[in-house]
Amino acid sequence: MTLFKDPEGNEKKHLHRSVNFNSKRVLEIGCGEGRLMWQYASASSLTIGLDSDKNALRVASIDRPTKLDNKVHFSAAQAEYLPFRKETFDIAVLAWSL
Amino acid sequence: MVHALSEIQRVLTPDGILIDLRPILDHWHVEVASAREVRETGRVQDFPMGLADDEAANRAMATAESNRWFKRESEEFFPLYYSWDSANEIEEWIHDEWENFIGLGDETKQATRSAWALGDGDSRVRVRVKMLLTRWRKI
Repeated sequence: MTLFKDPEGNEKKHLHRSVNFNSKRVLEIGCGEGRLMWQYASASSLTIGLDSDKNALRVASIDRPTKLDNKVHFSAAQAEYLPFRKETFDIAVLAWSL
Repeated sequence: MVHALSEIQRVLTPDGILIDLRPILDHWHVEVASAREVRETGRVQDFPMGLADDEAANRAMATAESNRWFKRESEEFFPLYYSWDSANEIEEWIHDEWENFIGLGDETKQATRSAWALGDGDSRVRVRVKMLLTRWRKI
């Protein structure tokens, strides 16, 4: 099966129009295999992808572009108990997950 | 959901931004599209579980707003396409991945199969998903 999701890039366009990721610390909740994350993470100073699906995170780790190795990290934590100190992130993205 | 929003509020810096990006059920359009033309062949059926999910998400954000964790700064809708090579593939995908949330009626299935079979060589079948992007500011 050949599925193309958002071939026009509308999601990326509207996301970047809505928020400036430059040099920001970003938490993405429900990152899955990282599809959305790859659209903005290079602009951020740090991006953490959170998902309870460990298999999806494994795929995201494999798919992570080499240039993002030091910038993008993953956590299998639950959104209800975020394992981070208060006031750690400038931006949180709920990605198809609320 | 509300607990998760409380946690997000905690880990955001003062004035931090929350982006809520998600699909909203609204009888999404089914289309057969080629470089030459786009033909709508019907709409998907929205199922109660999908509608309940949307309602629950809206209620959670309303609670976060009334608790003064976040204020809404902007909201917009935009289309996002899922596109397949054939009419069979969209039916398979909806059955396998979205069966609890949406469905295709017989009339739409038939119209889509016909339009794809009779369409141009580069015809693809697609669903126009309605996306909601809301920007919230931590209070």
